[in-house]
Amino acid sequence: MFNLLPSVPQLLFVLFGAMALGCAVAMVAQRNPLYSAISLVGVFVSLACLYLTLQAPFIAAIQVIVYAGTIMVLVVFVIMLLNVEEEVRRPLRLTYLIPVGVLLAAVLVGEAAFMLSLGSSAPTPAQTTSGSDVGLTASIGTGMFTKYLLPFEVTSVLILMALVGAITLARQGRTPLFAAPGNVDEEPAVLTAGGDVAIKPGDTAATGRAYAREQIRSGDAAAPSTSAGEEER
Amino acid sequence: MIPLTWYLALSAVMFTIGVVGVIIKRNAIQMFMCIELMLNAVNLTFVAFSSYFGDVTGQLFVFIVMTVAAAEAAVGLGIIIAIFRNRESLDVDDASVLRL
Repeated sequence: MFNLLPSVPQLLFVLFGAMALGCAVAMVAQRNPLYSAISLVGVFVSLACLYLTLQAPFIAAIQVIVYAGTIMVLVVFVIMLLNVEEEVRRPLRLTYLIPVGVLLAAVLVGEAAFMLSLGSSAPTPAQTTSGSDVGLTASIGTGMFTKYLLPFEVTSVLILMALVGAITLARQGRTPLFAAPGNVDEEPAVLTAGGDVAIKPGDTAATGRAYAREQIRSGDAAAPSTSAGEEER
Repeated sequence: MIPLTWYLALSAVMFTIGVVGVIIKRNAIQMFMCIELMLNAVNLTFVAFSSYFGDVTGQLFVFIVMTVAAAEAAVGLGIIIAIFRNRESLDVDDASVLRL
């Protein structure tokens, strides 16, 4: 099976496989989430190239559009929105479990190698026929809209649910604690009634949060009469 | 031609890297990205089998997996934003209890 001279597909596989593995390892090793995200884009792109070597151009295109284009843009947006700091290095706990982990990993690698060596006699049909139309858009569309129509429709319902869920989760602008400075228009006098806290023009949501935390710590959370918005939280 | 086992081995290694990342990472966004890596490793297996057996079903599964991944990204990132608003931290050790 193995010629001494590797063929072009084998060289391509080694190239893109090594790229995918390297980017994956870099992603896990990075402490900065933004660098991890960029490494993950590298993994996605090299996987798309691997799909092309498998004669699946539709999946390769979808991989680039959906993963590298959409999901990673979302992730990068969230990273920038939240201003994530780098991960701090912290002391290892449970150090005595490290030899156990190494042992189990060795067992796993041995098992996988055994299975893969068994599978080397697996059939390799269908790929020899380069004129196969399995990966083309037409055959995928035919399968999706005839035999697998119901899963496809269920998928669209799932997307709708995710849409509604994401909007519900990400939108919490009603409570005064999260409100923008210009947004606090409903009776700020209520906050000043029990204590000496007034909302000043420069106050932000962080100020409110710090105030609430101080209240909780000092134990008299009920002292200043909370507004309706704080009750809701 | 490339043996099928090459693709399977690559996929297994990538999946393992993803699992290790989920276990050792503390940042919620990085754990999330490791989950994406695991999904992609499984996708590679699907496409490899589909191509080698000449059956289009595996690629349809990949399509559905990608849809689920997109839904997971939307909801998961929404949850991450909500956690960050309440705790001002993405460390999962800080969010080990559900109450504030």
